[in-house]
Amino acid sequence: MRAMVETLKLLQFGDSVFPVGAFSFSNGLEMAVQHEVVHDRVTLQDFVRTVTRLAATGDGVALLAGHRGATSGDLDRIRHADEAVCLRKINEEMRTMSVRMGRKLAEASTRIVGESLLKKRISESANGVPVTYPVALGVLFAELGVSEEDAFAAHQYGAASMVLGAAVRLMRVDHLDAQSILYAVNEKVPDDYREVRTASLDDMQNFAPHIDVLAAAHQHAHVRMFMS
Amino acid sequence: MISLDTARELEPYQDEPAQLPAGANGKVGVLRMSFERRGDRTILDDLYRQSPLLVQRALYWDEEMPELPCIMILTTSGGVLQGDRLRIDVDMAPGTQAHLVTQAATKIQEMDANYGTQIQTFTLADDAYLEFLPEPVIPYRGSRFVTDSRVRLPESATMLYAEVLQPGRKHYRDGELFAYDLFSSTLRAERPDGRQLFVEKFVVSPGRFEVARTGVMDRFHIFGNVVLLTSPERAARVFDRTSAPVWDEDTPLASAVSRLPNDAGLIFKVLGQETEPVRAAVRAFCVAAREEVTGRTFPPAFSWR
Repeated sequence: MRAMVETLKLLQFGDSVFPVGAFSFSNGLEMAVQHEVVHDRVTLQDFVRTVTRLAATGDGVALLAGHRGATSGDLDRIRHADEAVCLRKINEEMRTMSVRMGRKLAEASTRIVGESLLKKRISESANGVPVTYPVALGVLFAELGVSEEDAFAAHQYGAASMVLGAAVRLMRVDHLDAQSILYAVNEKVPDDYREVRTASLDDMQNFAPHIDVLAAAHQHAHVRMFMS
Repeated sequence: MISLDTARELEPYQDEPAQLPAGANGKVGVLRMSFERRGDRTILDDLYRQSPLLVQRALYWDEEMPELPCIMILTTSGGVLQGDRLRIDVDMAPGTQAHLVTQAATKIQEMDANYGTQIQTFTLADDAYLEFLPEPVIPYRGSRFVTDSRVRLPESATMLYAEVLQPGRKHYRDGELFAYDLFSSTLRAERPDGRQLFVEKFVVSPGRFEVARTGVMDRFHIFGNVVLLTSPERAARVFDRTSAPVWDEDTPLASAVSRLPNDAGLIFKVLGQETEPVRAAVRAFCVAAREEVTGRTFPPAFSWR
């Protein structure tokens, strides 16, 4: 029965409609569609897979650090993971996304769950290191008794569904196409986890110059539906 | 002293070369340079070098900034070989200026055992100004290379750091595109009190995750990355001049500028299919940066480079 309760928590807080504002970000897709880099199912799936790979080797490592920090009740370790994320968000919109969603998750979970390490982090973050989304998600799931594998999976799912949610509004793909892509991309999650589970914060890495250029160009676009 | 031998991405490559052992005599290149003010000029006050890295002396070839020491970094072995361990330390006293370049492209040679590493540190005092503009890096088939660069500077100092990464020997035989095993590059910057500004780390292993794909390199081959670390006021002026993104389908060329975290400065990224348009874009950004920071421009590029 315990497993059932954890699954329900995983579903609730890992849900793409959980109110952290994921719907207002496209993770670079808006610019990619505008420049016709992404224009059909195949290119969309490619793009989504690149995004989830980056989520795994970058933020995913911080999520695991947050989860482990919370498991051992170590607020310093959690703060350190948040700092590592902030230092590595070299694009402004991606920075905003991570910090805004992190704060919303911390506030929402404080209201829903009550006392937690996340509440401590959000109350000390006013003058220091902001709470970031991947670390907050790791901390929250650890406190809810959800395993780090499942927490990692939920984060990967969130990265993919954010882009796909934007895709159905930006281009000619229907919801079933989006779900098929999500299903296919999700198959990579265990491999990505195996690859990064022993990585330290120093190993966090992102190589995606194409997305970086698109993301940096986005803030100058005249017409924007999304904040990234 | 930090070592990169324990880097996670190097785990699969810990075998010894059949030639000289890794890190043996002749394979540990060292360059230590410190710059001081002397009158109006900056001089290369201290130089220690150990082959395969070589610097001979400072030259003053820049007609727009005749007080600027220009340093050409050479390698005596024709590139980075398996088992090479390179280390470059640059120290800039208050108010000094310097321009560092390499003599030719950094060729990371084919490897069948071990790897090459490079550690670079740049320490700038108040009002120092450093341009580090090496020639492109060309990772050959099967090469493995890890480089780690650390910049420590106060807000009043400026460092302009540009790298251009090639996909390999693009026009050699049938073309060599992303055939290397590993290219790992980390750049981090911090204030003199240890406060971190930003970290950018790439681990590119084309055999593990395809590079010629949407979001990573897409259809592009050449990647230029320029970091300008400077005060927020100067960064804002450079941003005003350079921030219009470029998306040119014909050349093709794509570029854009972002503001770095913690008011560290700017980062300019450019993608192209051939080297020249990328170099021209990198150069244009560097010209804007030098003009806004020093009030002087770059002389015309050498016609033979």
